[in-house]
Amino acid sequence: MSLAFDDYGRPYIILREQGSKKRMKGLEAYKSNILAAKAIANTLSSSLGPKGMDKMLVSPDGDVSVTNDGATIVEKMEIQHPTAKLLVELSQSQDAEIGDGTTGVVVLAGKLLEQALTLLDKGIHPLKISDGFDRACDVAIKHLETISEEIDIQANEHEALIQAACTALGSKVVSKRKRELGKIAVTAVLDVADLNRKDVNLDLIKIQTKTGGSVEDTRLISGILIDKDMSHPQMVKEVNDAKICLLTCPFEPPKPKTKHNINISSAEDYKKLYQQEQQYFVDMVKLVKDSGANIALCQWGFDDEANHLLLQNNLPAVRWVSGTDVELIAMATGARIIPRFQEITPEKLGKAGSVKEVQFGTSNERMLVIENCQCTKAVTILIRGGSQMIVDEAKRSIHDAICVIRNLIKDNRIVYGGGSAELACAIQVLQYADEVSSVEQYAIRSFADALEGIPSCLADNCGLNPITSVAQAKARQLQENNHRIGIDCMELGTTDMKEQRIYETLSSKKQQIQLATQVVKMILKIDDVIAPDDY
Amino acid sequence: MSQFLQPTILLLREGTDTSQGRAQIVSNINAVQAVADVVKSTLGPRGMDKMIQTGPKVTISNDGATILNLLEVVHPAARVLVDIAKSQDDEVGDGTTSTTLLAAELLKEAKPFIEEGIHPQIVIQGYRKALELALEKLEGFSINISRDSPEDKRNTLLKCAQTALNSKLLANTKQFFSELVVSAVEKLDPNILDRDLIGIKNVTGGSVTDSFLVDGVAFKKTFSYAGFEQQPKRFENPKICLLNLELELKSEKENAEIRIEKPEEYQQIVDAEWALIYEKLETIVKAGAQIVLSKLPIGDLATQYFADRNIFCAGRVPQEDLLRVQKATGGQVQTTVNGLNPETFGTCGLFEEVQVGAERYNLFKNCPQSRTATIVLRGGAEQFIQEAERSLNDAIMIVRRCFKANKIVAGGGAIELELSRYLRHYARSVTGKTQYIVNSYAKALEVIPRTIAENAGLNSIEIMNKLRQRHAQGGDEGRWYGVDINGQSGVCDTHSSFVWEPSLVKRNALCSATEAACAILSIDETVKNPKSDQDTKMKPKGQPGRPPMGMRR
Repeated sequence: MSLAFDDYGRPYIILREQGSKKRMKGLEAYKSNILAAKAIANTLSSSLGPKGMDKMLVSPDGDVSVTNDGATIVEKMEIQHPTAKLLVELSQSQDAEIGDGTTGVVVLAGKLLEQALTLLDKGIHPLKISDGFDRACDVAIKHLETISEEIDIQANEHEALIQAACTALGSKVVSKRKRELGKIAVTAVLDVADLNRKDVNLDLIKIQTKTGGSVEDTRLISGILIDKDMSHPQMVKEVNDAKICLLTCPFEPPKPKTKHNINISSAEDYKKLYQQEQQYFVDMVKLVKDSGANIALCQWGFDDEANHLLLQNNLPAVRWVSGTDVELIAMATGARIIPRFQEITPEKLGKAGSVKEVQFGTSNERMLVIENCQCTKAVTILIRGGSQMIVDEAKRSIHDAICVIRNLIKDNRIVYGGGSAELACAIQVLQYADEVSSVEQYAIRSFADALEGIPSCLADNCGLNPITSVAQAKARQLQENNHRIGIDCMELGTTDMKEQRIYETLSSKKQQIQLATQVVKMILKIDDVIAPDDY
Repeated sequence: MSQFLQPTILLLREGTDTSQGRAQIVSNINAVQAVADVVKSTLGPRGMDKMIQTGPKVTISNDGATILNLLEVVHPAARVLVDIAKSQDDEVGDGTTSTTLLAAELLKEAKPFIEEGIHPQIVIQGYRKALELALEKLEGFSINISRDSPEDKRNTLLKCAQTALNSKLLANTKQFFSELVVSAVEKLDPNILDRDLIGIKNVTGGSVTDSFLVDGVAFKKTFSYAGFEQQPKRFENPKICLLNLELELKSEKENAEIRIEKPEEYQQIVDAEWALIYEKLETIVKAGAQIVLSKLPIGDLATQYFADRNIFCAGRVPQEDLLRVQKATGGQVQTTVNGLNPETFGTCGLFEEVQVGAERYNLFKNCPQSRTATIVLRGGAEQFIQEAERSLNDAIMIVRRCFKANKIVAGGGAIELELSRYLRHYARSVTGKTQYIVNSYAKALEVIPRTIAENAGLNSIEIMNKLRQRHAQGGDEGRWYGVDINGQSGVCDTHSSFVWEPSLVKRNALCSATEAACAILSIDETVKNPKSDQDTKMKPKGQPGRPPMGMRR
């Protein structure tokens, strides 16, 4: 930052560490902000759409992840620039609220900023631009609502939901298996959904990954899978009609929390103490056994002695089950969590059709599957795949699909994908622009151009000629008055997205446009950047 | 450089920087200008935002006080500006930028007088006189708003909130947010209007218009132990027990030690500890509580115990939220459960746990003696929400002020111009140097409309001429003409277009700006002790008296 000088030319310091601060003002600030944000958007733009590419990201620790998910990419890029960070948060908030469309939102924001830059060069006041964008955004959102269609989520074995899930999975590495995975996701969501309240608690869907096998082996378990095995290798591996005892106390002699020590003055006392400890184990196992439980899951560890006794008493048990798992199991089996052995009663036990230990491939790893639970309010999706990277990416993809289905259950309105909705909005916005008599007209027109950037980016990624295909689609939309014409990314021979069954949720599209406009407005309002010099 | 020639008498510690005399005042004024320049472009409805990076944290703001605070001003005279902005923020909450600008402009006007050799005290006297007159006139010009009917009153509050939001990021949704803010303030006890009782919670995601008001309390789901999910998540008219008590199996006293002589006693100790916690839990259940909130942790044991008995619990509730729950539900925070009295329980119409964005929130709605409200803010990016929060804060403060004082003036620079016209008029009737100085004061006041016009990209000279002409015509007609950023002509009657501000904001702004200007004018010597060593590094190299090349921009 420049120094100030008094009338005698002596410099004086006004701000702390003034010399090491950098200040950018006015047009310079806008441009640098926009360029930084655009750089992020450009990185992501090649990941958009069904033929979008993946990014490989290496963390400082050398962990490699390969992904197509916008939010994950920008998060792992560890961006420093403050304006670019805004886009990262944009993507993340789309992820938090909707779960899907995280790439699209950043690309749209990038396109808007690109347009803003040309408008700035024309000498239009940045706030006029942002006003124009705001008005255009309102028009686009209204139009989206008019072209949206309600779908019947129940009809035809939830076919519509599966299609929507397929659209979400279409751009991912698992797209080959999208139909199977889509079905799994739909079943999982419907299992835990509360259709009356139109609410889905995603915490009830556990996604467990395991490398090995192939993506086809991914399956849905109507119950819970935990990454644990029986505490003793000789215990029975399968329990049918299981009565589960869920414990949050260790199989150990109880310890007072107050600091204590025991004084043993005679050999007799010592023996007594030993016997008493033995008695504790016997009592514990007896209490569990007496309640009728035939399997015990414990949040804490077992003493070796207890483990041995459990085996002798033919009571399979699992130790170190994590707190969240304990909770999920409790929900699924209808068990109550028991904090103390004295409180075990038959009513508090959970019931499940079967509990078994399964082994994968030739590896020595085992997992515990709890199936056919009394009240299946929790499900697990077990994802398999050739490598850790594929499994991780599949997990993210399924998460996206699950979010899409959840959103459809909340709000069953859809718009058609493949850039058709954006094109339809662009046409509408363009029409509106001509009615505006002030400077904002330019901004509104640019907003329409930015919206067209999405289909053109889609086409580009699919190896089509972006300009011709967008122009064709737009012309057909206008001629046929059909808002469903988009880009034929999969080369199926039709550009009608209804025939291609590319569904996207209205809520996600709306959110994308709103959030992108919001962030662009914010960036356009900054005319001054003050920062330390060294970045 | 003359100090090198004559023997120096060392009076102060080596390195102490002293400067004095007229040059000192001028240099202070320059420093103030430099600081005011930074915030200048944020004024008015077309004001821009500043992005300031301090370490890893980035703040984007339009709020004068926030910006000045983040700039880390070290120049002693310029710090005065930061302080008045802060005091305006604390006192009224809004108008921080205009206060800063006004103070800087007053000093700028004073600079020629100082340079010409007029004694600073005369300038100060003149300014004080002008302030006195301006305040008197301000009082006279203020419009008493009718508050006979509740609708009228509400309407006024809405208008004032909208004016405060005009220059912020939320400008496009100001209708929506002014409703929100006014409804929130209306919830408060009209006699006290405690700002702390309006909570603002930020949840990223969603559009800004997804923000909503809870007529009660909302807070984020606290850390929970296994078993929490089995608790009921919805109650109608629940009994709420508020505690400041740890519900966990733990040693009763820190550092206590038990000596166990016989093995049999061992079990007794264990049982005793369990009995203690169970006793506590039982008392709570027996008293009939349905929701248990505690400031301190509620352990897994208690969580499961409550889950078994269909009671909702949340531990580690932040202090301020617990206080708000207390106010809203009429309960009292208990530090022990001994003799727990159901009368200390609070209640509310509806308790619910809902999903907001990626977070889960506990909502206490329809509280019987609700004297508190919570605004849940949504938005795209973290910085966006933070700025939105600051803007809402300004609006809340303004509405609070309006609630108390019932006088308003028109914004958009109208009142400043009117005061300026009056002072100019007055100046002609006095003799002596005061005439000049009052005139300068009048001129300084014009900085507000001028900056608003400049920021909006309008031709400020043309606008100022139009406005001066309107005001000079006098009477009630021209009085409220101010800058119009939307229309073609650039000026309009801001009173009839509902740009309203409480007159208190202006009053405070005038007072503190004048005070600050006078304070800086009356300083004629600064003695600055050297900082411990590292300060020398910061001094720019190069010959004294000549700025190094390339440093000036």
